[in-house]
Amino acid sequence: MKKVSLSASRPLGILIAGLCIAGAVGLGVYVAGQNSSYPSSDSAELDAEVVHMASTVGGRLIDLRVHVNQAVKKGDILYRLDPEPYQLAVRQAEANFALASAEVENQQRLVAVKTANAAVAKSQTERAQTNHDLAARTVERLKPLAGKAYIPWQEYDQARVALNNASVSLSQSQQQEQAAQTAIGDLKSSIAAQQAAQAVLEQTRYALKQTVIIAPTDGYVTSLRVKAGEILAPSQVLFTLIANDAWFATANIREIALKEVQLGACATVYSMIDKHTALRGHVESIGWGVLSADSAGIGASLPLVPRQMDWVHVAQRFPVRIKLDAANPALLRLGATATVEIRHGAACP
Amino acid sequence: MRAPLLRPVGLFVTATLLNGCAAQGAPSFSVFGAYFPGWMLCGMIGVAVAVGLRVLFLACGMDALLSLRLFTYASLGVVAALLVWLVWFGP
Repeated sequence: MKKVSLSASRPLGILIAGLCIAGAVGLGVYVAGQNSSYPSSDSAELDAEVVHMASTVGGRLIDLRVHVNQAVKKGDILYRLDPEPYQLAVRQAEANFALASAEVENQQRLVAVKTANAAVAKSQTERAQTNHDLAARTVERLKPLAGKAYIPWQEYDQARVALNNASVSLSQSQQQEQAAQTAIGDLKSSIAAQQAAQAVLEQTRYALKQTVIIAPTDGYVTSLRVKAGEILAPSQVLFTLIANDAWFATANIREIALKEVQLGACATVYSMIDKHTALRGHVESIGWGVLSADSAGIGASLPLVPRQMDWVHVAQRFPVRIKLDAANPALLRLGATATVEIRHGAACP
Repeated sequence: MRAPLLRPVGLFVTATLLNGCAAQGAPSFSVFGAYFPGWMLCGMIGVAVAVGLRVLFLACGMDALLSLRLFTYASLGVVAALLVWLVWFGP
């Protein structure tokens, strides 16, 4: 084995060493700059929106038309609940509505009768008024005659009594007319009852419609583990539908590199299902907040402040949401690992 | 003594570099179901290059010209690793 001298006396050796070190440092600085101006993440995840399929009404599942992992189209019928209880409720509400409508008609007839009664009372008052006027004129006429004894006092007295009677009759018939007018009433309460019955009917029809569950979007059925016959409570989730209309990659990017992430910037995404196929995407948004250990005390009575022991602070990362362009569906699975390169990579020339 | 040592190292370096050229894909490679970042592979390549160059220079006698060998070889390894990163994953 040759003895290797460690002395630093050879100028050529020093020159080579200096060149190598300078090259390494220069290249290192350049690469660090490149790395921070073209952010990337190898811990991204593919993401999609989901719908937890449930009905607002409960009942027995009688018709399940999908199976797990099946692709469905928007508007497809996914499942049906037993509609019979809701059909019966609709029939009951229809009957109640018919009852309320009949009551309105009944009330209309009653109002008509009472209006006629009021008219009768009004003409009675007119008659009483006419009688009263006649009696008053008779008394007026007889008064001077009785004073000069052209007629017997008896006749004058009778006329005054007749006037008194006519006054009483007049006031009675006026009161009766008023009472009859008041008694006419209106249709308000019966119409309100009819409207309430109609609202109940529409509610039951809505509930009946909710027994058929329709796909709100194109998607994939997941975590479906039951068969027809299952009894579901209102709002009980039967399965999750992964929406297939838009796919995203969520990449956690260090805060120090966020200034290089512009909204709308091109991004190359590799799904690790096939890491050789580059998917193209665009930055859609950057998360506005993450929960950190230091902010966990919010809401508690006092702020939670740890004693300082860590002099080195690891950079916080924020989720950057990248909307993928149309891609091979086989590569898109919710939760798949992905790598993301923003503003560079095979898909962003 | 030297040739058998050199061969597997050279093979490894060539294979990984060729792999990098052929399979332009995600900057992440999987080993038994775990994903390792691309820069880690670059670092390993740098170490291999440093060791390989040392062996190569010893074989051809160039090593005798050098001084500050540790820094020289380490720098060469770093340069190799960074170049591989730039070529493979760089923007």
